[in-house]
Amino acid sequence: SRRFAAKSSVLDPPDVSRLAETARISISPEEVEEFAPKIRQVVDWFGQLQAADLQSIKPALRAADAEGDNLRDDEPQVFDNRDAMLSEVPTYEDSYIKVPKVLNKE
Amino acid sequence: MLSTVQTPPRLLRSPSAAASTLRCIYTVPCCGPSRSPNSQILTARKSLLSRETSAVDLAKSFCERLRRTEPQIGSFLHVPPHETVLKQAEELDVKIKNGDRLGPLAGVLVGVKDNICTSDMPSTAGSKILENYRPPFDATAVSKLKRNGALIIGKTNLDEFGMGSSTEASAYQVTANPWDLSRVPGGSSGGSAAAVSARQCMVALGSDTGGSVRQPASFCGVVGLKPTYGRVSRYGLVAYASSLDVIGCLSSSVADAGILLAAISGHDKFDATSSRREVPDFESHFVSKDGFESKPLRGVRVGIIRETLGDGVDSEVVSAVHGAISHLEELGSILSEISLPSFSLGLPAYYVLASSEASSNLSRYDGVRYGSQSSGDDINTLYENSRGRGFGSEVKRRILMGTYALSAGYYDAYYKRAQQVRTLILDGLKDALERNDILVSPAAPSVAYRIGEKKDDPLAMYAGDIMTVNVNLAGLPALVLPCGFSVGRLPVGFQMIGSPFDEEKLLKIGHIFEQTFEGGECFVPPIL
Repeated sequence: SRRFAAKSSVLDPPDVSRLAETARISISPEEVEEFAPKIRQVVDWFGQLQAADLQSIKPALRAADAEGDNLRDDEPQVFDNRDAMLSEVPTYEDSYIKVPKVLNKE
Repeated sequence: MLSTVQTPPRLLRSPSAAASTLRCIYTVPCCGPSRSPNSQILTARKSLLSRETSAVDLAKSFCERLRRTEPQIGSFLHVPPHETVLKQAEELDVKIKNGDRLGPLAGVLVGVKDNICTSDMPSTAGSKILENYRPPFDATAVSKLKRNGALIIGKTNLDEFGMGSSTEASAYQVTANPWDLSRVPGGSSGGSAAAVSARQCMVALGSDTGGSVRQPASFCGVVGLKPTYGRVSRYGLVAYASSLDVIGCLSSSVADAGILLAAISGHDKFDATSSRREVPDFESHFVSKDGFESKPLRGVRVGIIRETLGDGVDSEVVSAVHGAISHLEELGSILSEISLPSFSLGLPAYYVLASSEASSNLSRYDGVRYGSQSSGDDINTLYENSRGRGFGSEVKRRILMGTYALSAGYYDAYYKRAQQVRTLILDGLKDALERNDILVSPAAPSVAYRIGEKKDDPLAMYAGDIMTVNVNLAGLPALVLPCGFSVGRLPVGFQMIGSPFDEEKLLKIGHIFEQTFEGGECFVPPIL
């Protein structure tokens, strides 16, 4: 398994602009300037996790295993308030949800 | 610390013990003659059934108090016209007159945190990206409230998407702590806690992902109950971190928290993480203290978490919690100290997991199918602009941190390790709960701080969650009760942690503690 010599020597520090692009959030240059130190500070603080001795500890996905079989049958059901749901769509026209063009990006 | 606002004289302590309870309903629901809190729900139920009061009169008194105090506190984001609630109350009065069967929450005025979907009121999750959003469905917890006869008085303020510990991160308004209007009510369920504290509603629903019901309960001097993960359906709770989120209860007495919990609990086919376990009859435990034995907690093993009463915790908090612990001992419990060596690692682990899950959960807010939309020339720009303009700073930062932690190549360093810490904490708490009936700690390392004090320092804000996050990581139930005050008359709460699905034991012990505790005055804030 990979070993980490020091908390941030192997991992690149957060590149706020690039992360914003990945997360599809537009942020201004002012926000980048404001957020970067705060995010870096928190991520450095996360570094405690790398310092901890966690050899052979199993990761826990959640608090406890789901109690019993909680899956319902895979049967479609009609939602009883379709009109209310559709009235929440910002740009709904002629039974389509209207959005700007979807370009191909490299 | 004195409030900066002139508070009106307290009108409400009735001289006559016999009349005090009923008069309290009209004036301020507070305490019985012995200063231990009465159950507002049980008192209302009794008065309604005996016709001593009507549902309309009860609703009117809360609506009036809400109207009077709201300009100073700002607990609510949406309050439907009071006529709506009064009409529902009228219909209830007709049912009572006809002798119809009533639900256990009949006539109970409830506040609902605005990240819990209500189809007849907006649900914004405290965010501009959901401004004016009206869900096409009720959360299961809300349907249950309605089916049990409750009257929803309004939607309460919160930190945006539940991300925060002071309610200052709401996109709409700041809520003030009723005990000192220059201070925060805590968060993220600050609106619900303040509303219950100021008696603007009888009880309220909140949500708790890292302490968001329990910490504001402590700051506002009310009872906060976090159920076991899976006890209450999350269907209709706007998801922040799905493996941690729960819906919880805020109230002025343990009995009310328990009765409310019973009403909203149970398996739900719409929530695959909801438990099929039967919901016990919590209400049967809330007996009058005249029926208590002399040492009613005899044999109850209480484990005090060593790491929560040392460095970094205000001395006034430590002192008040020690007072609570002494009281538990007086009631017959057996105290011991336990140690959780991984305790402090829980905080960074929590924030890695919560931010990561949030970055995934909040990807649905794209401005396309609901919520606010900002224009763009192409689809990605539409997403980016809608999210950029719709989300507040704290939410954006957490999404970015989560995106970072989940980036390719970083999973082992952060997310996986956080999950490993989760195992350590789970095992440590489970172990301690095999040797103890409950574990005790403060609910927060300080009392309510000033509005603006920690807003610009994320790590300082996160540090305040140290007492609560481990409970969410382990999915355990916990109950917070007020147990004292700071020198400046700010409430201090202590936390009792229980075994999975053993809310019954927590509530039983909490009720006995509360009814016999003479910690000073009744927890009614001076604004009333």
